[in-house]
This record gives sequence, C-alpha cells and structure tokens, in this order.
Amino acid sequence: MKRMRVHLATLLQRLTDVGQSVRRVLYGATAHEIVLYTVRLRADMETLFILVTLGDLIGVPILPPYYSLRLLPYLVPNIATWKRHVLRERDILDREGVDLLG
Amino acid sequence: MNTLFALILALVVIYLGYVFYAKRVDAQIIKADPKKATPARLYMDGVDFSPTDRNVLYGYQFKSIAAAGPIVGAITAANLWGWLPAMLWLFLGVTFIGWVQDYSAMMMAVRRDGDSITAIAHKLISPRTRTILLLFIFVYLLMIVGAFGNLLAGTLNANLSVPLGIVVLALAGMLAGQMLYKWKMDLIVVTLVVVGVTLLAILVGPLPEIVNAVKGFNSSLNTLGLTIYFVDVDGLVKPFTTSYMFWLLFVVAFSYLGATLPIWRYAQPVNYIGFWVMALTIVGGLLGAAVAVFVKPTLANFVLPAFTTFDAGKGGALQPLWPMLFVTIACGAISGWHSLVSTVGTGRQLEYETDALPVGAGSMFSEMLLAMLALMAISVAGKGAGAAAFANGVGQFLNIFGLDAAYGAALGFASFVIIVITVTQLAVRFMRVVLAEWAGDMWPIVKNVHVGTLISSILMIIIVLSGTFTYLWQIFGAANQLMAALALMLVSLWLVSERKNPTYAVIPMVFMYVTTIAANLVSAYNLWATVVQRHAAKPELWFAVAGAVAMIIISFFLIAAALFIGYDAWQAYNRMKATQASTAPAE
Repeated sequence: MKRMRVHLATLLQRLTDVGQSVRRVLYGATAHEIVLYTVRLRADMETLFILVTLGDLIGVPILPPYYSLRLLPYLVPNIATWKRHVLRERDILDREGVDLLG
Repeated sequence: MNTLFALILALVVIYLGYVFYAKRVDAQIIKADPKKATPARLYMDGVDFSPTDRNVLYGYQFKSIAAAGPIVGAITAANLWGWLPAMLWLFLGVTFIGWVQDYSAMMMAVRRDGDSITAIAHKLISPRTRTILLLFIFVYLLMIVGAFGNLLAGTLNANLSVPLGIVVLALAGMLAGQMLYKWKMDLIVVTLVVVGVTLLAILVGPLPEIVNAVKGFNSSLNTLGLTIYFVDVDGLVKPFTTSYMFWLLFVVAFSYLGATLPIWRYAQPVNYIGFWVMALTIVGGLLGAAVAVFVKPTLANFVLPAFTTFDAGKGGALQPLWPMLFVTIACGAISGWHSLVSTVGTGRQLEYETDALPVGAGSMFSEMLLAMLALMAISVAGKGAGAAAFANGVGQFLNIFGLDAAYGAALGFASFVIIVITVTQLAVRFMRVVLAEWAGDMWPIVKNVHVGTLISSILMIIIVLSGTFTYLWQIFGAANQLMAALALMLVSLWLVSERKNPTYAVIPMVFMYVTTIAANLVSAYNLWATVVQRHAAKPELWFAVAGAVAMIIISFFLIAAALFIGYDAWQAYNRMKATQASTAPAE
C-alpha cells in the first residue's frame, strides 16, 4: 500500500513535470518572441538614455552635466553591460535577423 | 502502408537517430559541458543574451523553423517520384544531415561568443565570404518570395473558401498589436479574441454565400482579360488570369504592411495568430492520422504509388531522383534557413551547452513529423498539388473527430496559406533592409522604407509571373540546401580549428554541396530546354522567356557563390592545418 502510494506520488510528480514542460514549450512557441521584442524595445530606450547622459564613456563627446552625474550612482551597475551591448560589433543579420525569425 | 505505420516508423527513426547518433556526437565529439558558461550566461544583458529554459527554447526554435517547406516539398516530391523516396529522404536526411546542421551551428555560435553565421564566416574563412554569404541570403530570400508568392496567389485564386480567413487574419493581426502594445491588455484575452475571430472567419469561408461572392469577384476581374502567359512544368503554355494577378497583388499588399509597419503593429501579431491556427491543424492532423487506422481504415491507407519513376521529367525536362529529390524536399530533412535561426536566435539564449541537443536536434526531428503529416496527407488523397493536397488530407484526418471534411479542409487551406504568408512578409521585410544596407549609400532613396519595400515587391512580382512553380521551388530548394552545405562547411572548419573530428559534418556537407550544385545545373537546363529554346521566338511569351533567363542567371550565380566560398574555405582549411602543424609540440 505504501509502495503504491509512493509510485502514485512519483507518477503524479512526473505528470506535473511533463505538464510544466508542455506549458513552457507552448510559451516558447507563442509569447516568448513577444517578450523578447518588448525587452528589446525597453533596452533601446535605456541605451539611448544612458548614451545621452553618459555618452562620453564610449567616446561620444557628450559632457555629462551636473544632473547627469547625479544619476551616476543609479547607472553604475548597468554601465559595463551597457558598454558591451552598445560596442558589440553587429552585422546585418545581428541587427535584423531576429525579426526575420518570426 | 498506412498512416499509423508511417507515424510509428517516423517515431522509431527519431528515437534511433537521437539516442544512438545525436547523443553520441554531443557527448564524444562536441563534448557539451553544462558547467561551461554560454554567451547567454556570460554576457547576460537581458536583451541579446538572455539565458532561457530549454523547453521555452525548443518551442521558440520549432516555431521559427517550421514553415511551408516541409509541407510543399513533401507533397511536390511525392507527386513526382512517389511516397517512398520522399519518406526515405525525410528519414535519412534528418538523421544524418538535418539535426547535424541545426545542432552544430548552434554549438558553433555558443562556443564562438554568440556570433552570427556571417560573422563566423568572416572570422574563420575571409571577409569576402561574409559578403558572398549575405548576397547569397538575399538571392535565397528572393527565391522564397517568388516561390511562395506563386503558391499563395494560386491558392487564393483557386480556393474560394480561403480569402476571407486571410483578410480577417490581417485585420486581427493589427487588432492584436493594438490590444497588446497600446491598450496593454492581457495576452490570454488578446489570444482568445483574435484567434477566435480568425478561426471563425476560416470556418465561415466554405459557406455558399462566401464562396459565391468570391467566385463572382474573381469572374468580374477575369472579364478584364489581362493575361500573362507562362510555361508550366509539363512544357504547356498557360495563362495567369486577371484574378490570379489580383491575388498576387493582395499577397504583395499583405507583405508590404509586414515590411513597412513597426513589427509589433502587424508582422509579429499576425505570426502569433498564425502559429495558433497552424498548431491546431498540425496536432489535430497528426492525431487524426494516428487514429484513422482504427476508426476509418480505408482513409488511412496510402493510395499514392510508392515509387513512380527515376526520372519524372515531362515535356523535355529532366527530373531525376538524384539530385532533384534532395532539393525538392528541403525543410523536414535539411534546411539552410535553420542555421540562421540557430545562430542568430536560439544560440544566444542557451542557458547550458547540454540544452543544444534537445533544442537544436529535437526541433529538427520534430519538423520531420510536420513533413510526414504533409506526406501522409497527399498519400491518402492520392493526388493533388501543394495546398489542395495538404488541405484535403488534413480535412479527412480532422473528419475522424467529427469535424465536417469541408471545414477541416478550410482549416487546412488556411493553415497552409498562413504558414506561407507569414514567412513571405518577413522575407520582404529583410530584403528591404538588405537593399537599404547595400544600395543605400549609392542611392539614398532606397533607404526609404516604402521605396525599399516597393523594389522588393516588384522583384517578387516579376519572379512570380515569369516562372513556373516547380522550377521556382526547386531553385529555392537548391539555394536553401546550398546554404545548408555552406553552414556545414563552416561547422567543419570550426571543428578542425578546435581539433575535433569533423567527419560527421564533412560527409553530409560534401553530399549536399555536390547535390545542390548538380540540382542548380539541372534546373538551369530545364528552363533553357523547355522555355527559352522552345519559346524565345513567341512574342506573347516574352515575359516567361525573360523570367527563365533570369532564373538561369540566378542558378549560375548560386553555383558561382558556392564555388567561391568553397575555394575560400579550402584556403582557410589549409591555413588552419599549417598553423596547427607549426604549433604542434616537437616529437
């Protein structure tokens, strides 16, 4: 009886795992692309914002005014990632290829 | 042969190929290591590089690679050579070549910092290779829009129950974009509304009132009497009617919206709705095919001949089994498109190296099942081309569950058109972008979104109205498979640079390289022999002849591009070997 209960519990767990996997597959095939696009939209705006405020970090001649420097403590955690993102070399497939995937 | 047996065979092939071959390569040659940091984990900017769960990525990869290729290719090949060669190529192709390309391109991107395939070509081979590859991709997309445009216009013109569903799809797509991004509504609510409305329009399509309305519309267009003549694959001269040209313009307009509007406004939501319709059809169709043998055994039996002939050519054309079968069926067995998806899309989201196999190889094996569905549909129907064969077969499979065959067929038709039209609009969009990139400095007007799209659309119209579908499809297939060969070439070079055994990639690469070059030559010959030579002196066929000449030039361009890349790759291989020999420790 106890063994049967253990087997049943394992079976239920397995079914739950399979159900979870199927949900994730469905999400991947449907909403994931929408999420990726939305994230890219937000990132583009953030990139522009940091470029305008601290552009001189990557050689763009925008001298940060006083108010930009006040934002610096909030931006510091993102600067390394931002620099890598902006300075990464991209060809046409990198820029537009993701939209091609539909 | 029946549908259940065919499905079981396919599942056995998947199991054997994945467990005994793919896993072995993953473990012993590539040596995927879950502890190694992938670019997604290393760079993790949450935008380009974002570690994602393997199940999510599997769905994403499958949706990106599954298009019309597995459906149209399987049906066209079965009509030409019988179902047996088509099935064998699907099984053998996916087992020894298809998953190899998808998985290996993904691992190559992962181990090379998430670079795209063109960037890897630039670094591993030469800068010239990258340029040629981009040109190749442009021409390949041109062939896609030509072949698909031809298919779509023909399907919309001939099948009167379909147009309503597609018009509503376009409107529902715009509504979905508005609801999701502007009104910020819940995704589930948006899905229920837009997918529901689209399905309703699809199912209403076969009603006599709608069919008669479309019929009347087409007839009134045809009274205008504008025709352009083309030469079909049997060497017969036929006309493109006015209504056909109208529906072609409809497809162009659909693609125009997808190429010019912001992606969130139209293209993306249309693709989103399209996926749901397609998924319902595929799942329902496969289940129906599996169950048919118990419920309606007569329906489940294959009636199409297993094998017809080695050379299926007519009217002076050649259609030998080799090499033409291998370019007629592209996706489902092997497809160069997938290397783009694996490198640019999924490769940058892989959380662990060990996820590459279930995602890359798993989705490729799954796509083979979609091709099997199409093959089973034509095999039980017994005849028919493209959309009609698929739709009628799927309609019969869905009839198992009580859905009237007419409505099942309408769903099959709509799914088919949706799959094709979503790829076409994205291809036109990309062509517009590539044109702006290359020609924008010389002619700044090309950078204008509308001008670029107009030029791409005009090219599409010219290709469609000048060529027969089968040759267009085979040249597209050859371009697609040649890209696969080039991707495998890159993979082979990468493996050599990593001092790994490249045999598992080299053999398929050589086979695809030789086969696709041969196929291009056969297609060029067919166009010359059946169109140019025979009809060059006929003024009413000037468009068809000019189109055939253009297709021949494109075929030779593809061959030249492949030879150049092959030459550069050989040079790169020799350089690598020389470097490895000079840095090898002295014995």
